Amino acid sequence: MAAAGSEAAAVSPVAEPGTALMEIENLTRAYRMGEVDVWALRGVSFAIHPGENVAIMGPSGSGKSTLLHLLGLLDRPTSGSYRFAGVETSTLSDDSQARLRNKVIGFVFQSFNLVSGESALENVASPLVYAGVKRRERLDRARVALERVGLGDRLGHDPSQLSGGQRQRVAVARALVTNPPLLLADEPTGNLDSAASADILALLEGLHASGLTVVTITHDVDIAAKAQRVLHIADGLVVGDERARVSA
Amino acid sequence: MSFTEALRLAVRRLRTNRLRTALTALGVIIGVGSLVVLLAIGQGTKDQLTARIAGLGTNLLSITAGSSFTGRVRGAAGTASTLTVGDATAVAAVSGVTAVAPEMPVSNVVVVDGRTNTTTTLTGTTPAEATVRNYQVQYGTFLTQMETDKSLRVAVLGPATVTALGATPATIVGSTVDVSGIPFRVVGVTQPKGGATGFNNPDDFVYAPITAVQTLFTGATTLRSVAVSVSDPTQIPYVSSAITSTLRYRHGLSGSATDDFSLASQDQLLAVAGQQSATLQRFLIGIAAIAMVMGGIGIANTMLVSVRERVHEIGTRKAIGARRRDIGRQFLVEAVIVTLGGALVGIVLGAAATVPVGHAVNVTAVPSLAAIALAFASALVVGVIAGYWPAQQASRLDPVEALRYE
Repeated sequence: MAAAGSEAAAVSPVAEPGTALMEIENLTRAYRMGEVDVWALRGVSFAIHPGENVAIMGPSGSGKSTLLHLLGLLDRPTSGSYRFAGVETSTLSDDSQARLRNKVIGFVFQSFNLVSGESALENVASPLVYAGVKRRERLDRARVALERVGLGDRLGHDPSQLSGGQRQRVAVARALVTNPPLLLADEPTGNLDSAASADILALLEGLHASGLTVVTITHDVDIAAKAQRVLHIADGLVVGDERARVSA
Repeated sequence: MSFTEALRLAVRRLRTNRLRTALTALGVIIGVGSLVVLLAIGQGTKDQLTARIAGLGTNLLSITAGSSFTGRVRGAAGTASTLTVGDATAVAAVSGVTAVAPEMPVSNVVVVDGRTNTTTTLTGTTPAEATVRNYQVQYGTFLTQMETDKSLRVAVLGPATVTALGATPATIVGSTVDVSGIPFRVVGVTQPKGGATGFNNPDDFVYAPITAVQTLFTGATTLRSVAVSVSDPTQIPYVSSAITSTLRYRHGLSGSATDDFSLASQDQLLAVAGQQSATLQRFLIGIAAIAMVMGGIGIANTMLVSVRERVHEIGTRKAIGARRRDIGRQFLVEAVIVTLGGALVGIVLGAAATVPVGHAVNVTAVPSLAAIALAFASALVVGVIAGYWPAQQASRLDPVEALRYE
């Protein structure tokens, strides 16, 4: 990607058309509640460029989780457009969306979402199962990913034998194993103590520095403070789009 | 996700829940095991019946007296007093008939040999019985014409009867036993025929001259049945109709009157036995099928619980790129593996239990390859059916809902 390693391009105030990694326009999402439609998102538009580190903030019920699900291709908008690397995603089939999730998005969840009963290595390798990668290569790549997050010595551990911070590192390694351009994190420090939180934030920061686009949904002001750009969501609308003066 | 991957995932999952896996498989183990055992018992019973009937000779015809009526109530076949020794003699003259043995059985007689006793059936007959019913004597002699003519109190015992009396052929021949209190001298013991079923052992009997039995026990000249040996089995239909005409004439039956006797060939007996064992077989398969269905319900139930428990995992797998069919396959393969694993254990246990269970019910039962194949195939079908619905449920979960599920 052109922007990889280039902070200047990533923080340029005006997005150049065609270079955006994610472009959303007038995105809405309504849920049917009995007789009435409840609008979780009421027309959201923004673009995220390769190499950006974006925090999406907002109070509970603001629609930020809905936005995360749409950005992560786990849900479909009621109306509006979402282009990922120039491709309109809202009309893709379920299978195509699944393939896209597998190849271009690495998810990090608040509660880690590791499968217990499977080793750290197997957990990290699991996205590659759905990518059709052969077992030997899967395990090799999973090992590399775990080494990258500093858990090269915990390959065979069950998630239940790891601390919260270590589990989240395993989850980050799983998100990285398919080499996606985008890391999508949902409250990644929400279940961690402050030391582990700082640890995970430093890890994400390092990944961003290596060229990965990182989008984090959070209400943790520490995360927001470290992000280059903060999108504020309230009542289903973008109410603020701040860019840091100095890049990290 | 490839099939091998689904297999690997399923095996890992089943291993982490060993007890549950074992309990789930138990239903299938019982179903498949009982299918293997019951099919073998059914087949063994059929084989034994067939062998026994065939052992009697394919050239055998039996004439049984008709039923008697007490008022308007019809008695069992053979109870009518229509068949006589004269009839037997007349049948012997029919062309194609080689030997005729009149038979008058007296059931539940107590045979006492010194201090031991046994209960068996005493049949009055003639020397022709040995020819007609294919008996070989292993010790002593069979009944002779002289003994029959003179109505002597002599007896030929079946080997099982001798064993029941705690004697051996060598010791018992020449000695005297009491048959319902009347002393008979034992003149011979036959060779064992084998093929005992449940209540009926073809080697357990006492034969005595018909004349003696009629005088001492029944007090009449009528017979229960007449066993007829035919020279050429292919001629049985013609010989049968000749015998029928002869007896109808002798009994004074006019054109429209029904026969007061019945005539059955071995083929007919075989056909009836075949039908009966087929019914038994179907019944046994039905029982095993019920067990299989219960096993399948157990698997479906466990899989549904498993889907509920793993909603979060399913959501996560979808997020990292699993398609619907990947999730569906994972759960279906799990169900099928539990079933097939249970089937394998069930086959081994069933095959091991077949012989002892057969022994307990007096049937020579051998597990057959066909029964094993049938059990395995039906387990596969049960597994796929039981796993399909839970797998569909899992694959259709909405990823957002699944990830939110606590």
